[in-house]
Amino acid sequence: MPSVREQSSTVPESASLYLLLKALHVAAAITFVGGVLAAAMLLGAIRGLDVSSRDGRRVVQRLHRWQRSVTTPAMLVVWGLGMILAIEGGWFAYPWLQLKLVLVVLLSALHGVQSGMLRRSASGAVLRSGGTSGFVPLTIGLVAGIAILVIALHGKQS
Amino acid sequence: MEGSTLVLLVFVAMPLKHLAGWPAVVTVLGPVHGLAFLFYVLTAIETVVAGGWTRGEIARLALTAFIPFGGIANLPFLLRKDAVRSRTVVDRA
Repeated sequence: MPSVREQSSTVPESASLYLLLKALHVAAAITFVGGVLAAAMLLGAIRGLDVSSRDGRRVVQRLHRWQRSVTTPAMLVVWGLGMILAIEGGWFAYPWLQLKLVLVVLLSALHGVQSGMLRRSASGAVLRSGGTSGFVPLTIGLVAGIAILVIALHGKQS
Repeated sequence: MEGSTLVLLVFVAMPLKHLAGWPAVVTVLGPVHGLAFLFYVLTAIETVVAGGWTRGEIARLALTAFIPFGGIANLPFLLRKDAVRSRTVVDRA
């Protein structure tokens, strides 16, 4: 039986590259979802509170900057690598990916909404929207849906 | 960015594909334009939620995303809006 080293040397380079891109896609997705959850928790926590003090605004501004410098670029990397993987794997024709795309679009839209609310709060406005309490369960629900589609349905087909 | 990637796609990549037999450029630029469009939509959502836009301006932002080169045509309006916003921030400071 070939050794592990011999086995890995027989894996085609294209397959190794595909797996590397997939790994980076997952890493970027974890970073993106982490940022979305952090914003969801903060927005839920500051709803109705006056954060116009210097310290309050500083906290919100720091998270807003994190969103712009980490969460949004991670989202773009997820999308970019996801497109490459879908084209390479020929997955666009499969229903599980089409449904996954819907969930990912919703998650990205939620990120946009949260970024806008953070920007508004960072300028001193008091957030009065009651919807912010649903951001955390919505995020978890969307991520769970994506995981089920990718692992349970995609895994079944490959 | 969304407008310029569309310009590259329509006036560079497509002729290369159909006239010179080079489909690779379309294969690359197509997803790049798609990403630029997504980024435009995300930025539009963030901007609208942040406040300070009338319903007409929001409709203008939304509709021009689906009209070819609408983003480029919108540029003077967006620059005027940004100038007003910057003046407001300076006045507050």
